[in-house]
Amino acid sequence: MTRVIEVENLTKIYKGNIKAVDDISFDVNEGALFGFLGPNGAGKTTTIKLLTTLASITSGKATVLGHDVSKQPNMVRKSIGIVPQDLTIDNELKGNENIMLAAKLYHVPNHVAKKRVEDLLELVGLTDAANRLVSTYSGGMRKRLELIVGLVHEPKVLFMDEPTLGLDVNTRKIIWDYIRELNKEKRVTIFMTTHYLEEADALCDVAAIIDRGKIRAQGSPQELKEIIGGEVITIELTKERDLQDFFSSIKGVKEVKKLGSTYGIKLGMAEDAIPAIIDGIYARGVKIKALSCSKPSLDQVFLEVTGKEFREEESAEAASRRQDIIARRG
Amino acid sequence: MLTETLALTVRELKKWIRTPASVFIALFQPLVWIALFGSAFNPTNLIPSSIATPEVMAQIRQSILGQTFGNAPNYITYLTGGILSLLLLFTSAFSGGSLVLDRRFGYLNKLLASPISRASIFLSRVFATVVKGMIPSLIVFFAALSIPDGLKLNPSFTLLDGLLIFLTLFLLSLGFSSLFTAIAMRMTKWESLVAVVNLLNLPLLFSSSALLPVTSMPDWLQAIAKINPISKAADATRTLIVQGSVDLSIIMLNLTYLIAFAAILTIAGGIASIIALRTE
Repeated sequence: MTRVIEVENLTKIYKGNIKAVDDISFDVNEGALFGFLGPNGAGKTTTIKLLTTLASITSGKATVLGHDVSKQPNMVRKSIGIVPQDLTIDNELKGNENIMLAAKLYHVPNHVAKKRVEDLLELVGLTDAANRLVSTYSGGMRKRLELIVGLVHEPKVLFMDEPTLGLDVNTRKIIWDYIRELNKEKRVTIFMTTHYLEEADALCDVAAIIDRGKIRAQGSPQELKEIIGGEVITIELTKERDLQDFFSSIKGVKEVKKLGSTYGIKLGMAEDAIPAIIDGIYARGVKIKALSCSKPSLDQVFLEVTGKEFREEESAEAASRRQDIIARRG
Repeated sequence: MLTETLALTVRELKKWIRTPASVFIALFQPLVWIALFGSAFNPTNLIPSSIATPEVMAQIRQSILGQTFGNAPNYITYLTGGILSLLLLFTSAFSGGSLVLDRRFGYLNKLLASPISRASIFLSRVFATVVKGMIPSLIVFFAALSIPDGLKLNPSFTLLDGLLIFLTLFLLSLGFSSLFTAIAMRMTKWESLVAVVNLLNLPLLFSSSALLPVTSMPDWLQAIAKINPISKAADATRTLIVQGSVDLSIIMLNLTYLIAFAAILTIAGGIASIIALRTE
């Protein structure tokens, strides 16, 4: 599989010795939907800025589609699309004017651009609103427009910084669908940051957990969850019976705990093992009183790899780091 | 670079036209200035009328206009060149305004992450501002002509003189827009921009011959006023209006000065902007 983004020992130190990104390495494969997950101030936006040529690299190396980010910035710029965190659509222009402007900036020929603009507007359901000033759009509509403005030059990679920040739950789900569609149907490799665990879980093929400038873990959401030992099936039997050996013999089981008539079974994928477990229990003439299955969440993973709660209040240190970084963004 | 500059200039102008208040003020303000300055501050009215008979007074006024105001038929005629120059200075002063907002709203980052020439970010603001200044200046020129006892052109005034007036104003506007756009290139706040504009605008205006002739100033101020590009533009415009069908050599010095002023500031501003937009 082709690697679209390659990052090696990337470090960014802002003036004042603030280490925003600390020696990170990762690859993004072609066609992936790669998520960068971490709390505010973790270094996500800085990483995007480094990869999109908006900030200079202190040390390490990054390539996008084979182009060195610091040596061939213009080659990188031509081949990527960006959906920034801020709403950067021009309010005082119409929807289609915003996209046509982007088309001109990327030198897309007029007749090609017109067709693409129609298709893209259709894709995100903005055809009817295209001729209206963006100042009349709702937050969700603006975000949808923002998604397609970055696509008019048909980039191979799309960088999205917190694509659903500040949107309500319904709108967020709609945006997720569009992101999936762009990724699968338009075959755009997507690199996105998010501080919503459920977003990384729902959308991404691969996610990296970043905290205080360092990548703490990476893999598919499934793999990440396995870091904390996989899923847990809890079975309560109608009467006490020793099934320890049977449960341990099932494929994928890592640990079996017994507490009276209740068993806790830790394993990789619960769904796959449940039929075998149930059949085995009945075959041994035992009845099940209750069965439940708990899947680890990325919250638990985050706790495991960073040693702190994801949703805890921003520490004073993280807050001041973030302030410094924002101040430097200018 | 041209496609991008044009696309971004059109963006600026669309936004300008869609804000009728800004267009209205750009037109209205200089008209008020002409009416107010031309009437209320008319220096020929400052002499107490009790010192002589009305006939003598009229003679005195005429001789003031002749000696001090370069033979302008009235003060408004003298003033028009100054007000036009001032209009272009004031519109140019905020040429960097949209940059400050683009930086603030993240639009600038999106531009910087696209493969456009950095110079186009600078040039688009400059060109848009020149257009935003030139259109009102044309309207003000014709409005001054239509005011009763307003601007009086010399009977020998030709279309070429008219074109030369607007070439002069174009050069002045190009220079100042470049200067003020470059100044705003790294600003993050409107307040800083307003502060700088206020700091520069009035001194630039009062150290020029826009409102009063250089000869009425003390020596040190004359020295400044003589090199002030606003004086050069106001004087050239005035000469064209009062004398008409001018021998080009009379205003050549002023024109050359303004061409150099515009060229140097556009190039220097462009280079400064490219440096200012470098990634940190």
